[in-house]
Amino acid sequence: MSLFAATPDFALPVDAAAASGPAVQATDLAKEIDDRLILRGLNFSIPRGQSVALLGPNGAGKSTLLHLLATLTAPTAGQLTLLGQPVKRSDASLRRRIGMIGHQPMLYRDLTALENLLFFGRLYGVKNVAARAAMLLEQVRLADRANDAVKAFSRGMVQRLAIARALMHDPELILADEPFSGLDIPSIQQLQLLLGSLDAAGKTLIVTNHNIEQSLELCRRVMVLRQGNIVLDQAARGTPVALVMHEVTRT
Amino acid sequence: MNLALTQIGLLLAKDLRIEARTRQTLGLVIVLGLLIVVVLGLGLGPEQLGKGGVATATLWVAYLFGGVLVFEKTMAVERQDGALASLLLAPVDRTVIYLAKLLANLALIGVLALVVTPAAVILLGFDLSAAPLGFVGIMGLGMLGFAAVGTLFAAAVSSTRLQGGLLAMVIFPICLPLVITSTQLTQALFRENQPIGQGIALLVAIDLIYLAVSWIVFELVLEP
Repeated sequence: MSLFAATPDFALPVDAAAASGPAVQATDLAKEIDDRLILRGLNFSIPRGQSVALLGPNGAGKSTLLHLLATLTAPTAGQLTLLGQPVKRSDASLRRRIGMIGHQPMLYRDLTALENLLFFGRLYGVKNVAARAAMLLEQVRLADRANDAVKAFSRGMVQRLAIARALMHDPELILADEPFSGLDIPSIQQLQLLLGSLDAAGKTLIVTNHNIEQSLELCRRVMVLRQGNIVLDQAARGTPVALVMHEVTRT
Repeated sequence: MNLALTQIGLLLAKDLRIEARTRQTLGLVIVLGLLIVVVLGLGLGPEQLGKGGVATATLWVAYLFGGVLVFEKTMAVERQDGALASLLLAPVDRTVIYLAKLLANLALIGVLALVVTPAAVILLGFDLSAAPLGFVGIMGLGMLGFAAVGTLFAAAVSSTRLQGGLLAMVIFPICLPLVITSTQLTQALFRENQPIGQGIALLVAIDLIYLAVSWIVFELVLEP
Protein backbone atom coordinates (compact mmCIF):
# COMPACT_ATOMS: atom_id res chain seq x y z
CA MET A 1 0.00 0.00 0.00
CA SER A 2 1.25 3.47 -0.86
CA LEU A 3 2.24 5.55 2.13
CA PHE A 4 0.34 8.57 0.91
CA ALA A 5 -2.73 6.68 -0.32
CA ALA A 6 -5.89 8.75 -0.26
CA THR A 7 -7.66 6.02 1.69
CA PRO A 8 -6.50 5.92 5.30
CA ASP A 9 -5.44 2.55 6.69
CA PHE A 10 -7.39 3.19 9.87
CA ALA A 11 -11.00 4.15 10.48
CA LEU A 12 -11.92 7.79 11.03
CA PRO A 13 -15.36 8.83 12.29
CA VAL A 14 -16.50 10.88 9.29
CA ASP A 15 -20.22 11.35 8.67
CA ALA A 16 -21.82 11.48 5.24
CA ALA A 17 -22.05 15.29 5.11
CA ALA A 18 -18.40 15.61 5.97
CA ALA A 19 -17.41 13.22 3.20
CA SER A 20 -18.68 15.52 0.44
CA GLY A 21 -18.23 19.17 -0.52
CA PRO A 22 -15.05 21.12 -1.14
CA ALA A 23 -12.00 20.79 1.06
CA VAL A 24 -12.20 24.48 1.96
CA GLN A 25 -15.14 26.85 1.65
CA ALA A 26 -14.56 30.37 3.00
CA THR A 27 -17.30 32.98 3.01
CA ASP A 28 -16.54 36.58 4.03
CA LEU A 29 -13.75 35.20 6.19
CA ALA A 30 -12.16 37.91 8.35
CA LYS A 31 -9.62 37.89 11.13
CA GLU A 32 -8.69 40.77 13.38
CA ILE A 33 -5.67 40.61 15.70
CA ASP A 34 -4.93 43.41 18.18
CA ASP A 35 -7.42 45.76 16.47
CA ARG A 36 -5.73 45.17 13.12
CA LEU A 37 -7.69 43.56 10.32
CA ILE A 38 -5.39 40.82 8.98
CA LEU A 39 -7.88 39.09 6.65
CA ARG A 40 -10.57 41.20 5.01
CA GLY A 41 -13.59 39.12 4.12
CA LEU A 42 -12.08 36.36 1.96
CA ASN A 43 -14.32 34.32 -0.35
CA PHE A 44 -12.86 31.24 -1.96
CA SER A 45 -13.37 27.52 -2.41
CA ILE A 46 -10.77 24.79 -2.79
CA PRO A 47 -11.94 21.45 -4.21
CA ARG A 48 -10.70 18.25 -2.64
CA GLY A 49 -7.45 16.99 -4.04
CA GLN A 50 -6.28 20.38 -5.30
CA SER A 51 -2.86 21.78 -4.47
CA VAL A 52 -2.77 25.51 -3.88
CA ALA A 53 0.22 27.82 -3.58
CA LEU A 54 -0.60 30.68 -1.24
CA LEU A 55 1.74 33.55 -1.99
CA GLY A 56 2.10 37.10 -0.82
CA PRO A 57 4.47 39.54 0.84
CA ASN A 58 5.30 39.33 4.54
CA GLY A 59 2.34 40.42 6.62
CA ALA A 60 -0.17 39.66 3.87
CA GLY A 61 -2.06 37.25 6.14
CA LYS A 62 -0.85 33.90 4.76
CA SER A 63 0.11 32.36 8.10
CA THR A 64 -3.04 33.74 9.74
CA LEU A 65 -5.14 32.11 7.02
CA LEU A 66 -3.33 28.79 7.53
CA HIS A 67 -3.92 29.05 11.29
CA LEU A 68 -7.63 29.54 10.59
CA LEU A 69 -7.66 26.56 8.23
CA ALA A 70 -5.85 24.50 10.88
CA THR A 71 -8.57 25.52 13.41
CA LEU A 72 -5.81 26.89 15.65
CA THR A 73 -7.61 30.21 15.81
CA ALA A 74 -11.19 31.29 15.21
CA PRO A 75 -12.30 33.81 12.55
CA THR A 76 -13.50 37.20 13.71
CA ALA A 77 -16.25 37.13 11.09
CA GLY A 78 -17.47 34.97 8.23
CA GLN A 79 -17.95 31.25 7.75
CA LEU A 80 -15.41 28.52 7.21
CA THR A 81 -16.23 24.97 6.20
CA LEU A 82 -13.46 22.38 6.02
CA LEU A 83 -13.92 18.94 4.44
CA GLY A 84 -17.67 19.41 4.59
CA GLN A 85 -17.73 20.32 8.28
CA PRO A 86 -18.38 23.85 9.60
CA VAL A 87 -15.39 24.81 11.74
CA LYS A 88 -15.88 24.75 15.48
CA ARG A 89 -12.76 25.28 17.51
CA SER A 90 -13.35 22.32 19.78
CA ASP A 91 -14.10 19.89 16.95
CA ALA A 92 -11.68 17.04 17.47
CA SER A 93 -13.17 14.96 14.62
CA LEU A 94 -12.25 17.72 12.14
CA ARG A 95 -8.75 18.14 13.52
CA ARG A 96 -8.17 14.42 12.93
CA ARG A 97 -8.45 15.11 9.19
CA ILE A 98 -6.00 18.02 9.01
CA GLY A 99 -2.22 17.94 9.05
CA MET A 100 0.11 20.92 9.31
CA ILE A 101 3.75 21.49 8.52
CA GLY A 102 4.92 24.76 10.01
CA HIS A 103 8.04 26.81 9.50
CA GLN A 104 8.77 25.69 13.05
CA PRO A 105 9.23 21.89 13.35
CA MET A 106 6.43 21.42 15.94
CA LEU A 107 8.35 18.51 17.46
CA TYR A 108 9.85 17.72 20.86
CA ARG A 109 13.59 18.15 20.44
CA ASP A 110 14.48 16.02 23.49
CA LEU A 111 12.53 13.02 22.20
CA THR A 112 13.85 10.78 19.46
CA ALA A 113 12.40 10.80 15.95
CA LEU A 114 10.54 7.55 16.65
CA GLU A 115 9.26 8.72 20.05
CA ASN A 116 7.86 11.88 18.45
CA LEU A 117 5.99 9.91 15.78
CA LEU A 118 4.69 7.34 18.27
CA PHE A 119 3.54 10.08 20.65
CA PHE A 120 1.59 11.98 18.00
CA GLY A 121 0.31 8.78 16.38
CA ARG A 122 -1.12 7.60 19.69
CA LEU A 123 -2.67 11.01 20.39
CA TYR A 124 -4.50 10.68 17.06
CA GLY A 125 -5.47 7.09 17.83
CA VAL A 126 -3.63 5.71 14.80
CA LYS A 127 -3.87 1.94 14.55
CA ASN A 128 -0.66 -0.04 14.06
CA VAL A 129 1.17 3.08 15.13
CA ALA A 130 4.63 1.48 15.29
CA ALA A 131 4.36 0.13 11.75
CA ARG A 132 3.07 3.46 10.45
CA ALA A 133 5.91 5.35 12.16
CA ALA A 134 8.48 2.96 10.72
CA MET A 135 7.01 3.36 7.22
CA LEU A 136 7.07 7.14 7.44
CA LEU A 137 10.61 7.22 8.79
CA GLU A 138 11.62 5.05 5.86
CA GLN A 139 9.78 7.33 3.44
CA VAL A 140 11.47 10.49 4.74
CA ARG A 141 14.80 8.63 4.84
CA LEU A 142 15.28 8.87 8.58
CA ALA A 143 14.93 5.18 9.46
CA ASP A 144 18.60 4.94 10.41
CA ARG A 145 18.21 7.92 12.78
CA ALA A 146 14.94 6.76 14.36
CA ASN A 147 16.42 6.52 17.84
CA ASP A 148 18.36 9.78 17.76
CA ALA A 149 17.08 12.86 19.58
CA VAL A 150 15.62 15.50 17.27
CA LYS A 151 17.99 18.11 18.72
CA ALA A 152 20.85 16.30 17.01
CA PHE A 153 19.23 16.64 13.56
CA SER A 154 20.07 19.13 10.82
CA ARG A 155 17.39 21.58 9.68
CA GLY A 156 16.62 19.44 6.64
CA MET A 157 16.23 16.28 8.71
CA VAL A 158 14.01 18.08 11.21
CA GLN A 159 11.80 19.31 8.40
CA ARG A 160 11.53 15.81 6.93
CA LEU A 161 10.55 14.48 10.34
CA ALA A 162 8.03 17.32 10.70
CA ILE A 163 6.43 16.11 7.47
CA ALA A 164 6.30 12.56 8.81
CA ARG A 165 4.63 13.87 11.98
CA ALA A 166 2.05 15.79 9.97
CA LEU A 167 1.27 12.64 7.96
CA MET A 168 1.11 10.16 10.86
CA HIS A 169 -2.70 10.24 10.90
CA ASP A 170 -2.99 10.30 7.09
CA PRO A 171 -4.78 13.68 6.90
CA GLU A 172 -6.96 14.69 3.98
CA LEU A 173 -6.09 18.39 4.16
CA ILE A 174 -2.40 19.28 4.48
CA LEU A 175 -1.29 22.80 5.30
CA ALA A 176 2.36 23.73 4.85
CA ASP A 177 3.52 27.10 6.15
CA GLU A 178 6.77 28.05 4.41
CA PRO A 179 8.08 24.48 4.54
CA PHE A 180 11.15 25.33 2.43
CA SER A 181 12.49 28.12 4.62
CA GLY A 182 16.04 27.55 5.83
CA LEU A 183 16.57 24.38 3.80
CA ASP A 184 19.57 23.68 1.58
CA ILE A 185 19.09 22.75 -2.08
CA PRO A 186 19.12 18.92 -1.68
CA SER A 187 16.60 19.18 1.18
CA ILE A 188 14.40 21.47 -0.92
CA GLN A 189 14.44 18.94 -3.76
CA GLN A 190 13.52 16.10 -1.39
CA LEU A 191 10.71 18.14 0.13
CA GLN A 192 9.39 19.03 -3.32
CA LEU A 193 9.26 15.32 -4.17
CA LEU A 194 7.44 14.54 -0.93
CA LEU A 195 4.87 17.29 -1.44
CA GLY A 196 4.48 16.23 -5.07
CA SER A 197 3.74 12.66 -3.98
CA LEU A 198 1.05 13.96 -1.61
CA ASP A 199 -0.51 15.91 -4.47
CA ALA A 200 -0.37 12.82 -6.67
CA ALA A 201 -2.04 10.80 -3.89
CA GLY A 202 -5.04 13.14 -4.05
CA LYS A 203 -4.46 15.05 -0.85
CA THR A 204 -5.60 18.65 -0.63
CA LEU A 205 -2.45 20.69 -0.20
CA ILE A 206 -2.12 24.37 0.68
CA VAL A 207 1.43 25.68 0.71
CA THR A 208 2.67 29.15 1.60
CA ASN A 209 5.97 30.00 0.00
CA HIS A 210 8.11 32.95 -1.03
CA ASN A 211 9.57 31.23 -4.10
CA ILE A 212 7.12 31.97 -6.91
CA GLU A 213 8.70 29.77 -9.57
CA GLN A 214 8.88 26.78 -7.25
CA SER A 215 5.25 27.31 -6.17
CA LEU A 216 3.99 27.43 -9.75
CA GLU A 217 5.77 24.16 -10.50
CA LEU A 218 4.61 22.42 -7.35
CA CYS A 219 0.93 23.42 -7.21
CA ARG A 220 -2.02 23.40 -9.59
CA ARG A 221 -3.50 26.67 -8.39
CA VAL A 222 -1.99 29.93 -7.22
CA MET A 223 -3.55 32.46 -4.87
CA VAL A 224 -1.88 35.75 -4.00
CA LEU A 225 -2.81 37.43 -0.76
CA ARG A 226 -1.98 41.07 -0.18
CA GLN A 227 -3.06 43.21 2.79
CA GLY A 228 -5.61 40.59 3.75
CA ASN A 229 -7.25 40.40 0.30
CA ILE A 230 -6.99 37.82 -2.45
CA VAL A 231 -5.60 39.76 -5.43
CA LEU A 232 -4.89 36.84 -7.75
CA ASP A 233 -6.51 33.39 -7.91
CA GLN A 234 -6.01 31.19 -10.97
CA ALA A 235 -4.54 27.96 -12.32
CA ALA A 236 -0.81 27.80 -11.73
CA ARG A 237 -0.07 26.21 -15.09
CA GLY A 238 0.45 28.94 -17.66
CA THR A 239 0.58 31.75 -15.12
CA PRO A 240 3.64 33.90 -15.85
CA VAL A 241 6.05 34.31 -12.94
CA ALA A 242 6.18 38.03 -13.75
CA LEU A 243 2.43 38.41 -13.20
CA VAL A 244 2.59 36.75 -9.78
CA MET A 245 5.69 38.74 -8.93
CA HIS A 246 3.87 41.92 -9.89
CA GLU A 247 0.92 41.07 -7.66
CA VAL A 248 3.15 40.08 -4.74
CA THR A 249 5.34 43.18 -4.88
CA ARG A 250 2.75 45.77 -5.97
CA THR A 251 2.31 48.51 -3.37
CA MET B 1 -13.54 9.10 29.17
CA ASN B 2 -11.15 6.26 28.34
CA LEU B 3 -9.74 8.29 25.44
CA ALA B 4 -9.20 11.30 27.71
CA LEU B 5 -7.43 9.19 30.33
CA THR B 6 -5.25 7.60 27.64
CA GLN B 7 -4.35 11.03 26.28
CA ILE B 8 -3.61 12.37 29.78
CA GLY B 9 -1.33 9.36 30.29
CA LEU B 10 0.45 9.99 26.98
CA LEU B 11 0.99 13.68 27.69
CA LEU B 12 2.14 13.06 31.26
CA ALA B 13 4.52 10.30 30.19
CA LYS B 14 5.93 12.60 27.51
CA ASP B 15 6.61 15.40 30.03
CA LEU B 16 8.18 13.05 32.57
CA ARG B 17 10.27 11.34 29.90
CA ILE B 18 11.64 14.69 28.70
CA GLU B 19 12.40 15.69 32.30
CA ALA B 20 14.07 12.35 33.07
CA ARG B 21 16.20 12.74 29.96
CA THR B 22 17.18 16.40 30.36
CA ARG B 23 16.85 16.95 34.13
CA GLN B 24 16.59 20.60 33.18
CA THR B 25 13.86 21.42 35.71
CA LEU B 26 14.44 19.28 38.78
CA GLY B 27 18.17 19.95 39.02
CA LEU B 28 17.53 23.66 39.08
CA VAL B 29 14.55 23.77 41.45
CA ILE B 30 16.08 21.40 44.00
CA VAL B 31 19.23 23.52 44.25
CA LEU B 32 17.07 26.65 44.52
CA GLY B 33 14.86 25.08 47.19
CA LEU B 34 17.82 23.95 49.28
CA LEU B 35 19.47 27.35 48.96
CA ILE B 36 16.32 29.08 50.17
CA VAL B 37 16.06 26.77 53.19
CA VAL B 38 19.74 27.23 54.07
CA VAL B 39 19.81 31.01 53.56
CA LEU B 40 16.56 31.65 55.42
CA GLY B 41 17.57 29.19 58.13
CA LEU B 42 20.86 30.98 58.69
CA GLY B 43 19.25 34.41 58.41
CA LEU B 44 16.42 33.76 60.83
CA GLY B 45 18.48 31.94 63.46
CA PRO B 46 17.32 29.38 66.05
CA GLU B 47 15.24 31.87 68.07
CA GLN B 48 12.99 32.84 65.15
CA LEU B 49 12.82 29.28 63.83
CA GLY B 50 11.57 28.11 67.22
CA LYS B 51 8.43 30.19 66.76
CA GLY B 52 5.47 28.34 65.33
CA GLY B 53 4.91 28.74 61.61
CA VAL B 54 8.31 30.15 60.67
CA ALA B 55 9.66 26.83 59.45
CA THR B 56 6.44 26.17 57.49
CA ALA B 57 6.61 29.64 55.96
CA THR B 58 10.24 29.00 54.99
CA LEU B 59 9.22 25.77 53.31
CA TRP B 60 6.46 27.58 51.45
CA VAL B 61 8.95 30.14 50.15
CA ALA B 62 11.05 27.25 48.78
CA TYR B 63 7.97 25.59 47.25
CA LEU B 64 6.67 28.82 45.73
CA PHE B 65 9.90 29.87 44.03
CA GLY B 66 10.70 26.31 42.97
CA GLY B 67 7.14 25.85 41.75
CA VAL B 68 7.25 28.94 39.55
CA LEU B 69 10.36 27.56 37.86
CA VAL B 70 8.65 24.19 37.40
CA PHE B 71 5.58 25.78 35.77
CA GLU B 72 7.72 27.92 33.51
CA LYS B 73 10.00 25.07 32.40
CA THR B 74 7.27 22.54 31.71
CA MET B 75 5.43 25.07 29.55
CA ALA B 76 8.68 26.13 27.83
CA VAL B 77 8.95 22.54 26.52
CA GLU B 78 5.70 23.13 24.64
CA ARG B 79 6.74 26.53 23.31
CA GLN B 80 10.11 25.32 22.06
CA ASP B 81 10.05 24.64 18.31
CA GLY B 82 6.31 25.29 18.20
CA ALA B 83 5.43 21.90 19.73
CA LEU B 84 2.34 23.41 21.36
CA ALA B 85 0.80 24.06 17.95
CA SER B 86 1.06 20.36 17.11
CA LEU B 87 -0.71 19.52 20.38
CA LEU B 88 -3.46 22.04 19.66
CA LEU B 89 -3.83 20.57 16.17
CA ALA B 90 -4.29 17.08 17.56
CA PRO B 91 -7.76 15.80 18.51
CA VAL B 92 -7.05 16.46 22.18
CA ASP B 93 -9.37 18.47 24.38
CA ARG B 94 -7.71 21.54 25.93
CA THR B 95 -8.83 20.39 29.38
CA VAL B 96 -6.93 17.14 28.81
CA ILE B 97 -3.79 19.17 28.10
CA TYR B 98 -4.45 21.17 31.27
CA LEU B 99 -4.91 18.11 33.48
CA ALA B 100 -1.83 16.38 32.08
CA LYS B 101 0.29 19.48 32.58
CA LEU B 102 -1.11 19.92 36.10
CA LEU B 103 -0.18 16.33 36.98
CA ALA B 104 3.31 16.76 35.55
CA ASN B 105 3.78 19.95 37.57
CA LEU B 106 2.48 18.26 40.73
CA ALA B 107 4.86 15.34 40.21
CA LEU B 108 7.85 17.67 39.87
CA ILE B 109 6.85 19.84 42.86
CA GLY B 110 6.32 16.62 44.80
CA VAL B 111 9.91 15.60 44.09
CA LEU B 112 11.05 19.08 45.14
CA ALA B 113 9.13 18.71 48.42
CA LEU B 114 10.58 15.21 48.98
CA VAL B 115 14.10 16.68 48.90
CA VAL B 116 13.56 20.09 50.49
CA THR B 117 11.30 19.04 53.40
CA PRO B 118 13.77 16.58 54.98
CA ALA B 119 16.47 19.23 54.50
CA ALA B 120 14.27 21.68 56.45
CA VAL B 121 13.74 19.09 59.17
CA ILE B 122 17.49 18.73 59.55
CA LEU B 123 18.64 22.32 58.98
CA LEU B 124 15.77 24.22 60.59
CA GLY B 125 15.09 21.75 63.38
CA PHE B 126 11.55 21.42 62.07
CA ASP B 127 9.92 18.65 64.11
CA LEU B 128 7.26 16.78 62.11
CA SER B 129 7.06 13.78 64.40
CA ALA B 130 3.81 14.89 66.09
CA ALA B 131 1.73 14.70 62.90
CA PRO B 132 3.74 13.77 59.81
CA LEU B 133 0.75 12.58 57.79
CA GLY B 134 -1.29 15.62 58.68
CA PHE B 135 1.59 17.82 57.51
CA VAL B 136 1.82 15.93 54.21
CA GLY B 137 -1.94 16.22 53.72
CA ILE B 138 -2.04 19.97 54.37
CA MET B 139 0.98 20.66 52.17
CA GLY B 140 -0.45 18.37 49.49
CA LEU B 141 -3.71 20.31 49.43
CA GLY B 142 -1.79 23.59 49.34
CA MET B 143 0.34 22.42 46.44
CA LEU B 144 -2.67 21.21 44.49
CA GLY B 145 -4.19 24.71 44.50
CA PHE B 146 -0.81 26.28 43.81
CA ALA B 147 -0.17 23.99 40.83
CA ALA B 148 -3.72 24.53 39.52
CA VAL B 149 -3.15 28.28 39.31
CA GLY B 150 0.48 27.96 38.24
CA THR B 151 -0.34 25.68 35.32
CA LEU B 152 -2.95 28.14 34.06
CA PHE B 153 -0.81 31.26 34.32
CA ALA B 154 2.32 29.56 32.96
CA ALA B 155 0.31 28.86 29.79
CA ALA B 156 -1.01 32.42 29.75
CA VAL B 157 2.33 34.19 30.11
CA SER B 158 4.46 31.71 28.14
CA SER B 159 3.80 33.58 24.91
CA THR B 160 4.99 36.86 26.42
CA ARG B 161 8.60 37.94 26.83
CA LEU B 162 8.28 38.61 30.56
CA GLN B 163 7.57 34.97 31.51
CA GLY B 164 9.30 34.11 34.84
CA GLY B 165 9.10 37.53 36.44
CA LEU B 166 5.52 38.07 35.35
CA LEU B 167 4.52 34.56 36.37
CA ALA B 168 5.80 35.06 39.93
CA MET B 169 4.13 38.47 40.16
CA VAL B 170 0.78 36.99 39.13
CA ILE B 171 0.87 33.72 41.04
CA PHE B 172 2.18 34.82 44.43
CA PRO B 173 -0.66 37.21 45.31
CA ILE B 174 -3.26 34.73 44.07
CA CYS B 175 -1.75 31.95 46.18
CA LEU B 176 -1.63 34.06 49.34
CA PRO B 177 -4.87 32.60 50.76
CA LEU B 178 -3.44 29.10 50.23
CA VAL B 179 -0.15 29.92 51.94
CA ILE B 180 -1.80 31.69 54.89
CA THR B 181 -4.38 28.95 55.40
CA SER B 182 -1.91 26.08 55.16
CA THR B 183 0.63 27.83 57.44
CA GLN B 184 -2.03 28.47 60.08
CA LEU B 185 -3.27 24.90 59.71
CA THR B 186 0.23 23.51 60.18
CA GLN B 187 0.68 25.60 63.32
CA ALA B 188 -2.64 24.34 64.64
CA LEU B 189 -1.73 20.77 63.71
CA PHE B 190 1.34 20.77 65.92
CA ARG B 191 -0.45 22.33 68.87
CA GLU B 192 -2.52 20.04 71.01
CA ASN B 193 -6.31 20.38 71.12
CA GLN B 194 -6.43 22.73 68.18
CA PRO B 195 -9.34 21.97 65.80
CA ILE B 196 -8.30 21.92 62.14
CA GLY B 197 -11.47 20.65 60.45
CA GLN B 198 -12.68 24.10 59.46
CA GLY B 199 -9.26 25.04 58.11
CA ILE B 200 -9.07 21.87 56.02
CA ALA B 201 -12.53 22.61 54.61
CA LEU B 202 -11.37 26.11 53.68
CA LEU B 203 -8.23 24.74 52.01
CA VAL B 204 -10.29 22.21 50.02
CA ALA B 205 -12.72 24.97 49.01
CA ILE B 206 -9.86 27.20 47.79
CA ASP B 207 -8.44 24.24 45.83
CA LEU B 208 -11.78 23.50 44.21
CA ILE B 209 -12.28 27.13 43.19
CA TYR B 210 -8.76 27.40 41.76
CA LEU B 211 -9.11 24.10 39.92
CA ALA B 212 -12.52 24.89 38.46
CA VAL B 213 -11.61 28.38 37.30
CA SER B 214 -8.26 27.29 35.87
CA TRP B 215 -9.85 24.35 34.05
CA ILE B 216 -12.44 26.60 32.43
CA VAL B 217 -10.09 29.47 31.59
CA PHE B 218 -7.20 27.33 30.30
CA GLU B 219 -8.83 26.83 26.91
CA LEU B 220 -9.03 30.59 26.41
CA VAL B 221 -5.40 31.33 27.24
CA LEU B 222 -3.83 28.49 25.25
CA GLU B 223 -2.81 30.00 21.93
CA PRO B 224 -0.17 28.57 19.60
